Amino acid sequence: MTATDFEGLLRRLVDEGVEFIIVGGVAAVVHGSARATFDLDVVYSRTPDNLRRLVASLAAIRPYLRGAPPGLPFSFDIATLQRGLNFTLTTDMGDLDLLGDIIGGGGYEDLLPFAETIAVFGFRCRCIGLAKLIAVKRAAGRPKDNEILAELETLRQERDRLNGRSES
Amino acid sequence: MSTHAVRTARGYTVHMANEAGSQIDPVVAAYLKDVDRTLLRENLKLTPEERIRKLQDFVRAAVALREAPRSTDR
Repeated sequence: MTATDFEGLLRRLVDEGVEFIIVGGVAAVVHGSARATFDLDVVYSRTPDNLRRLVASLAAIRPYLRGAPPGLPFSFDIATLQRGLNFTLTTDMGDLDLLGDIIGGGGYEDLLPFAETIAVFGFRCRCIGLAKLIAVKRAAGRPKDNEILAELETLRQERDRLNGRSES
Repeated sequence: MSTHAVRTARGYTVHMANEAGSQIDPVVAAYLKDVDRTLLRENLKLTPEERIRKLQDFVRAAVALREAPRSTDR
């Protein structure tokens, strides 16, 4: 198993100009979560130009279907991206989920108004906002998310407290 | 925005917005008592980059441990 290189993956996407929004566990960490996650989840724009940039940014690190037996005729190219939507991948830089659409959040353009720009590692990228992350987790309705939701709700309250908003 | 208060077992009061669909699920509320608020406050002192670096360090350590050779010797 390769330890996911979060900085490296983000840098690849940013350097190639890929339009994406960080979601999932890394987004939770960005907002202060103490929970570990082992992969990077991003919602990506499905415009033809962006699919081309996505392929250009990732092809060199050999994306492959995570958990699939070796040797499948999987080719990470524009045609493959056009035929699919959500891809759970393993790469030479660790695990990466490319999501065309997420429950409760929709696609890239739907999420864009709820994304924040963050400055990390000398570049800027987009991350889903805390309120929307909570809404998405809630919409997913998975029992395993209950603990995470409680943590995210607590983070929202703590953040509001730091920002001086009244808690009463 | 109107809010409603949710009292946790540890005595915290969490105020939730009353906008449509934002009320806390009672099941989720049951987990609030187990949230380590001190840890979250420490995380909030960090920048987003520092938070990701902290995660990165943990993931690297966890993978290294997972792949460490296991001895059958006592």
